[in-house]
Amino acid sequence: MDFLANLAIPAVILFIVLSAYLKGVPVFDTFIEGAKEGAKTAFEILPVMVGILAAVSMLNASGLFDVLTSLIKGPLALIGIPAEIIPILLIRPFSGSASLGLFTEQIKLYGADSYLGRTLSTIISSSETVLYTLAVYFGGTPVKDTRHAVAAALISSYAGMLTAIYICRIL
Amino acid sequence: MLNFLWVIMIFAAVAAGLLMGRVKEISDALLASCGNAVNLSITMLGSMCLWSGLMRVAEKAGLVDGLARLLKGVFRFLFPGIPKGHPANGAIAMSLSADLLGLGNAATPLGIMAMKELSHVNGDAPRASNAMVMFAVVNAACIQLIPATVLIIRQQAGSSNPTSIMPAVWIASAVSLVSGIVAAKLMEKRRERL
Repeated sequence: MDFLANLAIPAVILFIVLSAYLKGVPVFDTFIEGAKEGAKTAFEILPVMVGILAAVSMLNASGLFDVLTSLIKGPLALIGIPAEIIPILLIRPFSGSASLGLFTEQIKLYGADSYLGRTLSTIISSSETVLYTLAVYFGGTPVKDTRHAVAAALISSYAGMLTAIYICRIL
Repeated sequence: MLNFLWVIMIFAAVAAGLLMGRVKEISDALLASCGNAVNLSITMLGSMCLWSGLMRVAEKAGLVDGLARLLKGVFRFLFPGIPKGHPANGAIAMSLSADLLGLGNAATPLGIMAMKELSHVNGDAPRASNAMVMFAVVNAACIQLIPATVLIIRQQAGSSNPTSIMPAVWIASAVSLVSGIVAAKLMEKRRERL
């Protein structure tokens, strides 16, 4: 399994390069042409990264998530969401590194095979850092108005996370 | 939307920081984050070059078109309005394949390239097209067959069966993907009428 996983990327690269070469494509020149485009895009995205990471780091350091957790703990308990899960629910859409860090801490605390441990694992595996993903993806384009992208992505993210909370009760 | 979110995030952070007496932590974190952003971008610069270069090679070899033809049915539903034979078809196909296979390093650069192609189809307008929004939502829903990082963390945390979460992960991911697609489809119709 490990071997196959490690093989995936080199095999894909070999397949692309070899089949292009056999078709008479000047592979290296073509590669460089595309790579230059990639470098330009990466530079266009750098300012977007600075803006997003700056705001996220401020949020993380402010302790806002602690305040919010204690505020919504009561109402969420009514629909069966344990208080221990709330910080991850709040942080996950904003910060990948912060939510992964919190997850690593919590899973040791609650035990990997407990209900909380399995639920947290499922939440982290089935959700994405929505805001960062959207900002970076749109960052390479001239788009200013992302319309319903943020709303739809957040709906999708929370639908997945809530499913994780309920499904881990049964499975 | 990002304009509004950004102000809200910064306002909420400063307000909460003042309330909790964590103003110093905020300014420290702010300075560190600029360096982190540059580090991340530099790391990505390399993989952006690699994957957009390989993407160009695959395009020239006709591989990308082949992949796009395989996924034609899915495309007509999710991203209507992309002209036949446009590079956007291939770019989306490559990016979604990388997502599914869990090629994390490749998926982001390929996704960004695909978004650029979709933007060209949209005439590089400042307003995102339905297809662009749908592509962003499908990517943010994160379809991942094997969550490698989490499995490793579970093992290190002493799990007797790290992979026991897999069925739950698949179900939660599927629910997330489907509700994202439905939400995007519903909202695009509502917004068009306005």
